[in-house]
Amino acid sequence: MQGQQPTVYVIDDDPSVRDGLDSLLRSVGYDARVFASPRNFLTSPPSEGPACIVLDVRMPDASGLDFQDELARTGYAIPIIFLTGHGDVPMSVRAMKAGAVEFLLKPFREQDLLDAIRQALEIDRIRLRKQAAEVDLHERFSTLTPREREVMALVARGLLNKQIAAEIGLSEITVKVHRGQAMRKMRADSVADLIRMADNLGLTDDKTNDTAPGLR
Amino acid sequence: MRREFLKYLFEMPFLWLGIVSLAGLIFIGDTVTDLEIAFAVLYVSVILLAVYSGRTGAIAMVGIACAALTIISYFLTSHGASQAGLINSTLSLVAIGATTYLAIRIEMLDATARQAQSELARMSRLMTVGELGTSIAHEVSQPITAIAANGNAALRWLSATPANHDEARRAIERIVADAGRAGDVIGRVRGLVARSSPSHDTVDLVQMINDVLELVRSEIRRGQILFRTELASDLPLVAGDRVQLQQVILNLVINAIEALAELDAETRELLVSAAADERKVTVSVRDTGVGMPAEMPDRIFEAFYTTKPKGMGMGLAISRSIIEAHGGTIYAAPNFPRGAVFGFTLPLGGKAKG
Repeated sequence: MQGQQPTVYVIDDDPSVRDGLDSLLRSVGYDARVFASPRNFLTSPPSEGPACIVLDVRMPDASGLDFQDELARTGYAIPIIFLTGHGDVPMSVRAMKAGAVEFLLKPFREQDLLDAIRQALEIDRIRLRKQAAEVDLHERFSTLTPREREVMALVARGLLNKQIAAEIGLSEITVKVHRGQAMRKMRADSVADLIRMADNLGLTDDKTNDTAPGLR
Repeated sequence: MRREFLKYLFEMPFLWLGIVSLAGLIFIGDTVTDLEIAFAVLYVSVILLAVYSGRTGAIAMVGIACAALTIISYFLTSHGASQAGLINSTLSLVAIGATTYLAIRIEMLDATARQAQSELARMSRLMTVGELGTSIAHEVSQPITAIAANGNAALRWLSATPANHDEARRAIERIVADAGRAGDVIGRVRGLVARSSPSHDTVDLVQMINDVLELVRSEIRRGQILFRTELASDLPLVAGDRVQLQQVILNLVINAIEALAELDAETRELLVSAAADERKVTVSVRDTGVGMPAEMPDRIFEAFYTTKPKGMGMGLAISRSIIEAHGGTIYAAPNFPRGAVFGFTLPLGGKAKG
């Protein structure tokens, strides 16, 4: 989304396949980066824009599936397309369950691979957009004063201004001011919008027990 | 026919030299001695010598020649009683005829046995190739995958504006190389499954071992095995049947891979080595696998003896018969600290029988 050329990582220990895919992906216009093993991939600097991995499942130093688990543990949710030399059903089921975009049997049709890559990059774009939105949301939230945060959390719980005022011991007018400030700082168009943001920030679950026990 | 005969002569010159000189000596002896002495019976030894040629036609020809020499020598011999001489010569001819017949029968039985052995060996090769099916499919599909990718890439590079000829050329060069690689795999498999009669080749063991290892490369990768070779660079050529020797090496390597499959990945090691001294070549396959059962080294080479759940118990038995037919020995021993060593020796410069 940052207007960058999407990156496709190819991890395959077979130099012929690696070189072939490298040329193919560059000819299509992707920024192709090839690696002989998952280890080499993990030690390389990550790219900025949307990316996906094309991974051979059968490799000597770590099986593709173990690598998928490892990536998932580190929280790097980059989409993976699996390539395999032989159709192993339990293996493909495990891979798909763990979130693989596609499981292609070698030799595969070029169109199948390119379709899978397109789909994977789209998934990654959405992921990046979400991630960016979340970062943005947290940044905006960090500009709120403690009082404004408190009011925002209570609004999100569905309380009226009057109830909030009673809850935290302020006048209704002051609550209204804090509420207006919170909405402005959070750039919320409506109360519904503010509630959705509070939801994304996790305010609705956290604050329930701390701030509003008396209202139960 | 004539050309074939010349070929036999050329194949075993010393045998034929021996046959001709022995027959000549007997002929001289038969001619100079009295007619009463049945010297011609000794031609039997010439016929028995001819059995080593391994050709029924050659044995028959030697028999006929011996009979002809007996008759000629009967007419050439001037001293002694001619009646007794006639009887003796007839007896000699009968002995020569009977021996020739028996020698031909022996040779035919021998040929049948050899045929059966080679068919059995071939069956076992086919089974091995069957076991390697997924690996071989993988070895073929890798270059094909690369070819398809490069082909599509080349098309795109050429149809881009402006066309990128350098990239397209490089992609096409890789296609050519990968096609060669796929062809090599197929050639190796075909070499193993082809129906071929036992042959006497001059075999480069190092190249043969590398060929076999190419076939099982993906098994080795899949097994996550730490794998090394120590192949003497100046290994002399050996005489033997290329396909059968290849089969023995394949058997030993596959056994080792299977023995390693049950262990932790860190401890899976496989070493294939080949070395020679003045008299023999030794090839050994050393693994750090589960090792051998306690009763043993001898029993494991027996037919139908197996420790593998899916094994037929034929691999090592066939390997032993192949190595012994080449005048060599096959052996098994525990490896230190763990696993097993299987290997064989082949004589250098010695005679190899089919």
